[in-house]
Amino acid sequence: MEPIGVYVHFPWCLKKCPYCDFVSFAKERDGIEHERYADAILAELDRRAGAFEGRTLATVFFGGGTPSLWAPQALGRVLAGIRAAAARHAGDDVEVTVECNPSSLDEDRARALVDVGVNRLSVGVQGLEPERLRFLGRLHDAEGGLEAVRAALRAGVPRVSADLIYGVAVPAKEAGPKYLAGGPTQEQSPSEAAAEARRVAETGVTHVSAYSLTIEPGTQFGELSRRGRLPIANEDGVAETFFAIEEALGAAGLGHYEISNYAREGHEARHNLGYWRGHDYVGLGCAAFGTVSGKGAGQHEGSALRYRNVIDPARYMRAALAGEAEVESEEPLDPETRLRERIMLGLRLREGFDLERSAAEVGAEAWTPSRRQAAERLVKRGKLTIEGGTIRVPRNAWVLADGIAAELF
Amino acid sequence: MPADPKLIRNFSIIAHIDHGKSTLADRILEATGALSEREKQDQFLDKMEIERERGITIKAQNVRLEYAASDGQKYRLHLIDTPGHVDFNYEVSRSLSACEGALLVVDASQGVEAQTLANVFLALDNNLEIIPVLNKIDLPSADVDRTKREIEDVIGLDCSNAILASAKTGIGIKDILEAVVARVPPPKGDASVTPRALIFDSWYDSYRGAVVMVRVVEGTLRKGQKVRFLATGRDYEITEMGVFAPHATPITELGPGEVGFIAGNIKSVTDTKIGDTVTDAVHPTTVALPGFKEVKPMVFAGIFPTDSAQYEDLRDALSKLQMNDAAFVYEPDTSEALGFGFRCGFLGLLHMEIIQERLEREYNLDLITTAPSVVYHVYMNSGEMKPIENPARLPPTQHVDHLEEPIYRVTIHVPSSYVGAVLALCQDRRGEQKSLQYASSDRVIITYDMPLSEVLFDFHDKLKSVSRGYASMDYELVGYRPADLVKLDMLVNGDPLDALSVIVHKEKAFQRGRDLAVKLKDIVPRQQYEVAIQAAIGSKVIARTTVKAMRKDVTAKCYGGDISRKRKLLEKQKEGKKRMKMVGSVEIPQEAFLAILKVD
Repeated sequence: MEPIGVYVHFPWCLKKCPYCDFVSFAKERDGIEHERYADAILAELDRRAGAFEGRTLATVFFGGGTPSLWAPQALGRVLAGIRAAAARHAGDDVEVTVECNPSSLDEDRARALVDVGVNRLSVGVQGLEPERLRFLGRLHDAEGGLEAVRAALRAGVPRVSADLIYGVAVPAKEAGPKYLAGGPTQEQSPSEAAAEARRVAETGVTHVSAYSLTIEPGTQFGELSRRGRLPIANEDGVAETFFAIEEALGAAGLGHYEISNYAREGHEARHNLGYWRGHDYVGLGCAAFGTVSGKGAGQHEGSALRYRNVIDPARYMRAALAGEAEVESEEPLDPETRLRERIMLGLRLREGFDLERSAAEVGAEAWTPSRRQAAERLVKRGKLTIEGGTIRVPRNAWVLADGIAAELF
Repeated sequence: MPADPKLIRNFSIIAHIDHGKSTLADRILEATGALSEREKQDQFLDKMEIERERGITIKAQNVRLEYAASDGQKYRLHLIDTPGHVDFNYEVSRSLSACEGALLVVDASQGVEAQTLANVFLALDNNLEIIPVLNKIDLPSADVDRTKREIEDVIGLDCSNAILASAKTGIGIKDILEAVVARVPPPKGDASVTPRALIFDSWYDSYRGAVVMVRVVEGTLRKGQKVRFLATGRDYEITEMGVFAPHATPITELGPGEVGFIAGNIKSVTDTKIGDTVTDAVHPTTVALPGFKEVKPMVFAGIFPTDSAQYEDLRDALSKLQMNDAAFVYEPDTSEALGFGFRCGFLGLLHMEIIQERLEREYNLDLITTAPSVVYHVYMNSGEMKPIENPARLPPTQHVDHLEEPIYRVTIHVPSSYVGAVLALCQDRRGEQKSLQYASSDRVIITYDMPLSEVLFDFHDKLKSVSRGYASMDYELVGYRPADLVKLDMLVNGDPLDALSVIVHKEKAFQRGRDLAVKLKDIVPRQQYEVAIQAAIGSKVIARTTVKAMRKDVTAKCYGGDISRKRKLLEKQKEGKKRMKMVGSVEIPQEAFLAILKVD
């Protein structure tokens, strides 16, 4: 049976980070409606239970926001509800991940999460340099990040991942209090970034996500950048750092399996692999996205439906608890569109993906003449390999994956 | 029934763009009762959308009006509209030669402009009676005395009985009509001799084929008559005959001095030469009406579909446009950079812009138009002369003895305070000063002989900008002259962008090449590898820039909530690529091909 994942969005943080474009609202822990939010999600789950029909529940992912802020019992109730809803269809080894911030994770909290059934934590370490952490608006210091990871490991969480952000330029001291584009910056060198990754790996984590900083519109950084007030890291340096981190983590036994992700063998994030392999996922909670295909979603064979829940937490809870639809928008995905997504996502993986099988699954044509032509051009330029039906971007071309995917659209 | 020639008046209106010609024509139509209330939309005579938007007349419209004059007689007036741009100079001259008189409309707040002057001289050449009309006298800035003085000084036209008018408010319209009756001479011509009629306009009608507008000079044309077009030597039977009053109204006879249209299963407007003589096929005249000329395109450019799938659509559109525009020529062309397209010839830049706009707007095509080129005369070592209008076709230099380029006489009217700037500009454009005269104490007429290629290249925009919009210009071909010209090629990673090759003067090649290389560097998007951009004359590289390779093009995070947005971004990127052309292995966006026109 086809695997299916569940994503639960938790929309609150102690503080909003200036680079973050996920939906989250700053709130004190005590001001959050822990139980009511859980009730709302369980109500939504009730409506969506049909999506599990004929599927195997493989993963549950609590993302945010900062779901480690959520009272563990409340989170546990939601998790239990999901297990119950999928009971007949749950696999024996469901991966359950919770995203954590160092400022809301200690050993006790980690243990409490393990007690309610969580078996994977993803900790937002982000960096180990005080300047950079401050610039990124983080509430913890370098030691705080590493300590949260160690606490998770001590608490017996079977799989712990750490997030890192690289490609960050901070204003140099002499730039003065208000940064202006073109002013002096201070950037991490590739070797410094590699050293940082090594230190994180030494904690014993089994998984690392290393993201290059992306300036998204609508964020505080996006706004600063628009006004020319954000230091931007040199592109060449960022590209070199990508490979430097790969080398450091590889040497530490963490294999590079997706553009921004590294894991010890068998410790890959299964939930995220589901996205990259084009599996269905049910989204629960405010602002959550879900994508469900086939008859279960009321769609034609091969087609799928992507939905997004209302963004405002209060509106979401009101609607869900009143038994009303909490969806803000829906996007039907036809076979061609789904195949394009498979290409975009599948090429992010080291293993690539089977284009021909994917095309057959969604009922689209794998090798249209223009795609064939583009693929041959890419192969000639060393940007793509084709083995049977499987296509893959070679390691040295990974940093150019977007343009490569676009050519195959 | 043909009217008594004594009661016919044929006249046209000469005016600069914006001086109110179309509004005046509308008022005349209203005053003679030709338009119903409902039809009194602005600029009735300018049919096409583009004409109305630009306020210019591309195809002339010609109307017959009945006017009861104050002498108690009923007159038949033919208002012959003329195309309002220098590119259509020849058509203007033919339209004018169909008249006995012209209204010279001058904006009383602006004074005489270069273009007006050129058309007045055309009218004088055709022995027309000219009635000066000072328009827009209702404007506070109108200066009647000064404008009169200027007309007298510049044109040498007596303005003592000039008519003061405002087409906008209707002042003076009656006076104008009375003056037309009183001052424009009636046509002469015997109704019983072998007919001779002048073709001064033609257009394509999907039911009737090509239709020609004629002015009968002498004799009579009748419906059903077999006629011959002298220049083409072809015979047609007049199946239909009519006048615009202002709506098409069928008639059966056209006598001397009368103006109307005839149709006769003429396949294409290319068979209807403006200025040609229509005569009887059985007893033809041997004496053609004077002034006939074959119109030759002066400016050429490649037009290519952005999407090669639109090639067939483009071909259909071009053939439809040509049905109505005999001056426009095209032939298939291929470019390594741009694929399949057409090489098109135009009368001038405005003509080119109009065709381009109509293709894009009326036929919904996405086009790339290459830099316009003039026709060079290439003299081979063998002594043979080859006309070359496509720089890509220039023969190898070792076979070429020398090149000649077309020279235009450019007449510029400008307030005296801008003379210095205008002279500097003309000098910079390889101009040779011919004269400089004061039209009035503060207006100067400057005449230069200048290569057409320099006139094409941004000259009009530059002229407007150095004179803050006050200068006006007119130009005409004076001949070909030898020049030290070279072919400048632009190379991308060693592959020539054939569509960007230009023929330039040697002294300007370096600057032009450098400017282009710098410009292309900013326009060619970063690719996944380094791209070298070079400007070269023959094998000699004279300028080089480099587009650095893209180092990173990858989304850091792509999870469940990001997928739609990222996919749409890539879809957009892919869509953008469709509009790019591959040159060797490099993708070049459309703008790069347009940039060549706009090197500052």
